[in-house]
Amino acid sequence: MVSLPSQLNVDYSKCTGCRICELACSAKKENLFQPSLARLRVIRYDDLGVDIPNVCGPCEEAPCVEVCPVYAMRRDPVSKMVYMDGDKCILCKSCVGACVNGVIRLDIQRMRIIKCDHCDGDPECAKACPTGAITYGPIAKTARVDRQSKIQRYLRETKRTAAFSAGDGDA
Amino acid sequence: MVMPEMAGNGYAGRILRVDLTEGAARASTLPSSWIRDFLGGDGIAARTLFEEVPARTDPLSPKNRLIVATGPITGTLWPMSGRTVFVSKAALTGIWGESHVGGFLGAELKFAGYDMLVVSGRAEKPVYLSIQDDTVTVNDAAKLWGLKTHETTSRIKEMQNDPDVQVAAIGPAGENLVRFASVLVNHARAAGRTGMGAVMGSKNLKAIAVRGTGSVSVANHDGFVELAKAAHMRVRTNPQAREMHKWGTWILTAVKQQIGELPTRNHRTGVFDGWESLSGDYIRPRYTVSDRACFGCSLGCKKVNYVRDGPYAGTLEEGPEYEGLMAFGSSLGIADYPTTLKANQLCNRYGLDMISTGMTISFAFEAFEKGAIDREMTGGLDLKWGNSEVAIRLLEMIAKREGIGDMLAEGTRAAAKRIGRGSAKYAIHVKGLEVSGQDGRTHRSIGLSHATGARGADHLRSLVVVDQLGYQEVAARRWGKDKLPEIVDPYTEKYKAAAVVETENAYSIRDALIVCWYSVSWPPIFWMDDFAKVLPLVTGIDDFGRTAELTKIAERQIALKRLFNAREGITRKDDRLPERFTKEPMPDGPGKGQLVNLEPMLDDYYRLRGWDQETGLPTAETIRRLALGWTDRFT
Repeated sequence: MVSLPSQLNVDYSKCTGCRICELACSAKKENLFQPSLARLRVIRYDDLGVDIPNVCGPCEEAPCVEVCPVYAMRRDPVSKMVYMDGDKCILCKSCVGACVNGVIRLDIQRMRIIKCDHCDGDPECAKACPTGAITYGPIAKTARVDRQSKIQRYLRETKRTAAFSAGDGDA
Repeated sequence: MVMPEMAGNGYAGRILRVDLTEGAARASTLPSSWIRDFLGGDGIAARTLFEEVPARTDPLSPKNRLIVATGPITGTLWPMSGRTVFVSKAALTGIWGESHVGGFLGAELKFAGYDMLVVSGRAEKPVYLSIQDDTVTVNDAAKLWGLKTHETTSRIKEMQNDPDVQVAAIGPAGENLVRFASVLVNHARAAGRTGMGAVMGSKNLKAIAVRGTGSVSVANHDGFVELAKAAHMRVRTNPQAREMHKWGTWILTAVKQQIGELPTRNHRTGVFDGWESLSGDYIRPRYTVSDRACFGCSLGCKKVNYVRDGPYAGTLEEGPEYEGLMAFGSSLGIADYPTTLKANQLCNRYGLDMISTGMTISFAFEAFEKGAIDREMTGGLDLKWGNSEVAIRLLEMIAKREGIGDMLAEGTRAAAKRIGRGSAKYAIHVKGLEVSGQDGRTHRSIGLSHATGARGADHLRSLVVVDQLGYQEVAARRWGKDKLPEIVDPYTEKYKAAAVVETENAYSIRDALIVCWYSVSWPPIFWMDDFAKVLPLVTGIDDFGRTAELTKIAERQIALKRLFNAREGITRKDDRLPERFTKEPMPDGPGKGQLVNLEPMLDDYYRLRGWDQETGLPTAETIRRLALGWTDRFT
């Protein structure tokens, strides 16, 4: 068990988009395989060949905490991770709309808010990830800067060569 | 709609049927006897096709079916379970047609609540099918018709305002009924072989869009998850799988060159001088920008590549696989990776099977060299080995059916028939399906596989890698020490039928589950005993825990496909190889002088299968043993 204040860290450049994290999450939390109820999601851009895991936190600002009218969202001041107290929740769904990562969800079958609880410090998604794209550990500033680089590199290259490819009849 | 009744055994429990002529959809229960007898995937699709598509049905008529099937572990945590199979009477060959594809479509179909989709009829105007859980609609596709596959996919995602919609689309090639048109999912994963795209095109069906928010659950959740996690660890720590993650199938180029099985210049020889520039060592550091995976796969063999300069600068595309490197590389005498990437991109966008396209162009190149095709027929094009510009031009002509492309779009067998002038010699196909990137002369067991494969010259239904790559230990464990060393010698016919039969059985279960080919190859990470361990946990059916029972299910599936082909007139006389493999000795390389002696392997194969030696068809006794007596009701 990690004792330092820890976060889910994402390295976009390592994600293959396999969605094992979504399966492992729903398997642990719901006892079935249902990505729509996973506490995280992978957004796949097939046209660019880029896959981006969206996990809960770490947020610089936590809109879900700000927006919650009944203080059901609690933010750890050190690790910056947010936890939800389901007993307080009045199902106003404000957090669902406010979450910048789109990982707070409404389960319309059982009418409840679904939100990552970081598996009490032992997240299943990080354990299941085959490439180390999702890790759980001490707050790492570098990883957050790094995770933009792959897309930036892509866009730069695509722009640079746009002139070449315009004439091939297939742009 | 029938509600899911069998949730909790891996299956969604429902079959979705869409009749495009009527524009109507209905769901029905997946019969439990089908599960018992056929498991899923290929099996239940074969059961459906046999019953619903009678003999001599024109594959491009409304009477043909397009089936999209999944298996009991599709959508679960089992490694590499993101596969889907398209099944139909094949547009290219007129016999059994199937094409497996990775990506995310199958899992999404399960989450929507269906094990299988069966499309029949023909829409009056272009349509696309949208499945969103229980909401199934047939929508106007006038604005999508004519678009390439990547445009179609993006447009549907925009229209439905949902990036998680999984789209299977055809491109202009499918619309133009090119006989080897493919169906594309996730932009670059193709259900390529046998012409599923043409069947979709003939139904005026531009795309199938699936979105599911439901779940898949298994009989013993905790037991299954534990086993699945251990299985993922086996994949993650398997040395060959780690290599595959790095190089994808490109790893094969060097291996095949080494044993003299890298098809070169339309299968004339098995060694290629420019092989280095088509190998992983060369490609990855220069072109690869990203590693990707299909649903639930911890191996991740897909590579996204980018060409920075040269004539194809700006090309960003996944792939191609080894087969694409072969089809647009060595087979055309082109030692240039960017050409194969560009060809792959165009095949994906137009919706063409890269193997059949490359091999058809190879046929044209050789026929041109030998004078069977002249410049008048090609519209002035010089079909010379190594000419990458002409190869790409022909690809587009095939997709659009322009000029000589119209004839080539019918496949090598039909094109050779039209051209005549002795060109049939250069049409390298079995039962109409162009031969993939293997060569029976330097890998005898694949010769038998090509000859007996249900869909024609097939490298995926029974390709034995144990002899190809010389895994002695695996061979000893699976087939007994007494069969060594012959069984791992790729240059002898001895015992090869035994290896092919056992491998084909395991692959049939793989195709019923459905799991990826790469989990059972080089050398296998999983085999029958692993499937026997996991299936009872998924389905709650203890019988599936016995490998003998799984073997019987596999034999049943193989016999049923054979009976489907028999109804179309296929017998032993059709289990042939092109004369190139049986009469033209390998001209150079390590396998110089090698030839395939097919007949003794066929004798052994039919005997082991319980098929008649003369007709090559399942005997009455075999049909009884496999409980396939019902087949005689459908003729």
